[in-house]
Amino acid sequence: MQRLTDVLRRLRPGAGGSVRGSGAGGEGEPGQTASGDGSDAGDERLRADGGVAAAEETGGRRSLLSSDFVQSIPFWLPPFLLMGFFVYGAIGWNFVISLTDFSGLVLPEYDVSNFDLDMYRQALNDPTFWTAAQNTLVLLVVFTALCLVFGLLLAILVDQGIRFENTFRTIYLLPMSLSFVVTAKFWAWMYNPEIGMINVTLSQLGLDVLTLQWISNPDTKLAAVIFALIWQFSGYAMVVYLAGLRAIPDDHYEAARVDGASTLKMYWRVILPQLRASTMSAAVVLMVFALKAFDFLYVMFGNNPGPAADILATMMFREAFGSNQWAYGSAIAIVLFAMALAVVAPYLYAEYRRGEL
Amino acid sequence: MSSPPAGPTPESNTRRERLARAARNADRTRIALYAVLGALVGFYLAPLEAGLMTAFKTTDAFNRSVPFLPPIAEGFTLEPWRVAFRELWNGLINSLLLAVPATVLSAGLGSIAAYGLTTIDWKYQMPIVALFVAGIFIPYQAVLVPLSRLFAIVDTQSLLSVLWGLPLMEEHYASILNLIVTHVAYGIPITFLLFRAYYQSFSNEMIEAAKLDGASVFSIYRNIVLPLSKPMFAVTLIYQFTQIWNDLLFALVILPSGGGAAAPVTVALNALSGGIVQSFNTQMAGAFVAALPTLIVYVLFGEQFAKGVAS
Amino acid sequence: MAELTLDGVTKWFDDGGDRIVAVDDADVEIEDGEFLVLVGPSGCGKSTTLRMVAGLETVSQGDIRLGDHSITDEPPTTRDIAMVFQSYALYPHMTVRENMSFGLEESTDMPDDEIRSRVAETAEMMGIADLLDRKPRELSGGQQQRVALGRAIVRDPEVFLMDEPLSNLDAKLRAQMRTELQRIQEDLDVTTMYVTHDQTEAMTMGDRIAILDDGRLQQVGTPLECYHEPANQFVAGFIGEPSMNFLDVELAGGSLVGDAFEYPLSEETLADLEGHDSLVVGIRPEDIELDGAADASHSYPTTVDVVEPMGNENNVYLTFDDDASAQTVVVTVSGMRKVDAGQQVAARIPEEAIHVFDRETGRALHNRTLDRAEVTEPNV
Repeated sequence: MQRLTDVLRRLRPGAGGSVRGSGAGGEGEPGQTASGDGSDAGDERLRADGGVAAAEETGGRRSLLSSDFVQSIPFWLPPFLLMGFFVYGAIGWNFVISLTDFSGLVLPEYDVSNFDLDMYRQALNDPTFWTAAQNTLVLLVVFTALCLVFGLLLAILVDQGIRFENTFRTIYLLPMSLSFVVTAKFWAWMYNPEIGMINVTLSQLGLDVLTLQWISNPDTKLAAVIFALIWQFSGYAMVVYLAGLRAIPDDHYEAARVDGASTLKMYWRVILPQLRASTMSAAVVLMVFALKAFDFLYVMFGNNPGPAADILATMMFREAFGSNQWAYGSAIAIVLFAMALAVVAPYLYAEYRRGEL
Repeated sequence: MSSPPAGPTPESNTRRERLARAARNADRTRIALYAVLGALVGFYLAPLEAGLMTAFKTTDAFNRSVPFLPPIAEGFTLEPWRVAFRELWNGLINSLLLAVPATVLSAGLGSIAAYGLTTIDWKYQMPIVALFVAGIFIPYQAVLVPLSRLFAIVDTQSLLSVLWGLPLMEEHYASILNLIVTHVAYGIPITFLLFRAYYQSFSNEMIEAAKLDGASVFSIYRNIVLPLSKPMFAVTLIYQFTQIWNDLLFALVILPSGGGAAAPVTVALNALSGGIVQSFNTQMAGAFVAALPTLIVYVLFGEQFAKGVAS
Repeated sequence: MAELTLDGVTKWFDDGGDRIVAVDDADVEIEDGEFLVLVGPSGCGKSTTLRMVAGLETVSQGDIRLGDHSITDEPPTTRDIAMVFQSYALYPHMTVRENMSFGLEESTDMPDDEIRSRVAETAEMMGIADLLDRKPRELSGGQQQRVALGRAIVRDPEVFLMDEPLSNLDAKLRAQMRTELQRIQEDLDVTTMYVTHDQTEAMTMGDRIAILDDGRLQQVGTPLECYHEPANQFVAGFIGEPSMNFLDVELAGGSLVGDAFEYPLSEETLADLEGHDSLVVGIRPEDIELDGAADASHSYPTTVDVVEPMGNENNVYLTFDDDASAQTVVVTVSGMRKVDAGQQVAARIPEEAIHVFDRETGRALHNRTLDRAEVTEPNV
């Protein structure tokens, strides 16, 4: 390959083959310059056969590029294959299963002629699906929005040059290091109607009116779940916002102060607009957490949280692993996947456009 | 020149100092600020505190007392902890056998993949980078059915049957192996992203200097990139360890129904409620036992954990 | 032996179908042991040229030869070239000793004890022997710079490449390192290609300098050649501080006619300008004489606009009395000479010191007479 490009280069007129006069300007005669009249002609030639030159250029570059490429393969290809098989291979497989009628304890039949969208049709006609989809959306939007607001407030508080900042930050982020299984246990106990901490505290404050059957009452069930998830993940939003706040130069705070802006106005007009990137990335990650909230619901309610808190993730698991409706479960999973894609794809594309991938 | 990621920048320090100075003049605002911060500490710690108190109470005591008050005299017991440890011991061992290798492998593979796609620069790598990164955001529901099918077809237990005769080997390790492979595969995207961001901060000139020094790509990784990756390995290992330790979903799907002998601690903890023990005190003790390793890691390396989640 | 030849070297980048030419058809020969400085404004392609020689950028067209064999398609790893980077690019996790040994370990089969003694020797020569066990972050900028140089020297390469190695040092240290670098290069006698945007560095360090602008080589020559016989207006303006004065003129009736003056020319000079009407006349600041009275030919009444005292000399900005455009001409005079703003002076522009350029192409048509070059110290 390299030889070949060499030969090609030699054959090309005016390229490597033809040696120009000895070291341009070496003798220092005025007027003898590399870009004198002589090389203007060379320039024209270069442009005139740009097509050929371009072909050669890619060829020349490829020899080096390919060596970089070839050398990089042992590093990324094995992890890529493992990850690719489990992530993209499995999603493809899942999609294929969703086209079949695979259910029960028999083996799936991958017969292309029998592939159809029946399972998706079934989902569209299934009220449970619509409830779950609606709950998923509510969970996604409400949880993410509240988490962001709460996380931003936390970040602003922690950013006030407080003492023991690290300690506060560590405590606020602590729930995130816990398993959903553990936090679900804690909150099941917190929400216990008779002896749980929330209701006990409320009655001690004389607010018996407010004591509710938090996680069995359909009206409060989803809200209670969202509240617990906010408890677990608002620390994450705080950490992201804190990094964003720290990246804003001092002068912006000071300029706003000099301009006489009130603290509230300063944050609203000067600081908040600069946190757009932080908000974007925190929002996407929080939505992904929300989509993965399955563990929490599963531990709290088993595989059927009831219509008030059923989300697509629990419904999929129930259909597939509870009722052995494998194909139906797969179809629901694909819908969930599409929802995740709708959230993430624009974000990744934007990151790519900004060159931050 | 790349140096290990520094803490807060000098600017933020001076800003904090200046803000602090300005704020000292307004003592009242300060007091209110600390009051709010303290109340928030209460909010975040309340469930843990109530759980911890409950775990030391007899059934009788927690049914009658206020959840967040410590147990008094005869209401105090260590029995829930004994039960929790007994019930979860096997799960703790399984989780350890699972989380440690899976964490190390996913971090190592993420690092070399990021090196091959970041430090070694070639033209059409972006689509592959995008595929890696997108893998972070996949809802795992979309792969559960194929996963259960896969491990029904690939019977690790019979494939590795020669091993089970060896000392210290048990047949249920096959299921743990399945889980390890799964966690490694799904962990690679996030470790890849963490390492990629880190390697992008390396000075190009340093890598070029190594090339001109005659170092091959392997040597550059081995002698330059890997030694400089230590801080990022700390972040990645801690983050991945908590993620894998805390997982429930894959264990539910990949392990034989109920988890069997291979059940990690999350599955065992979940089973605590449905099974033998109905009492909240044992469940709370169990929750703490299950969370203990991640809590220890978090308290010791909270800084690195924060860095992991922030990126 | 280690003669470095760039033969029609061209580099272009594709930018969404557009081709951006970074280096256009560069021909340079650097003799064995020669110190060549590649100088030009930022973005002129000098770093790209250097990186092509190093193998860090591919060559789009042309050939680079070391001695007789082409290295165009060789990877950087095997080129036997050492490079000093602007950021020094030391390995932060290695001690100075490890930094210096790394290249020898990677590119040679040299036994460990030989590497050790060679590193020690080089460190001694660079005056960094007592730093060998420190990490880069424990060193000052100047020390890091020495280590970076030492790391290149210990390799004993065929060619040194240096990419603005002094630009991160403070002014005093830079002047000191400039001299030292020159001394080392002379001692080692290794072919060196040195990139800088600083024309002072270029003038003082190079055996020859190559001036690049907009991807094109403008001139290659000794510093004095480039100073006194610039190939074109760009070189004339780029080399020298303060820059050469340029005045737009037309050739009419054997004289150069500008906005504010008329400058009669001798027969010899006129011969050089044949066929060109639209011209630029150039004169170096130190060649203008402030006589005090406008009597001689080529003398013009002017007013002092601003005086910049530099200590050893003054930069005096003059305006022609009749000039409406208020174009200033800068003159350097001895620091001891007292000149005040507003003062009326006569400025004499000696004909043997003028340069004349074609206004269209910028090409030098007539350069100053050279016998005076020996007595005029270049002012850089």
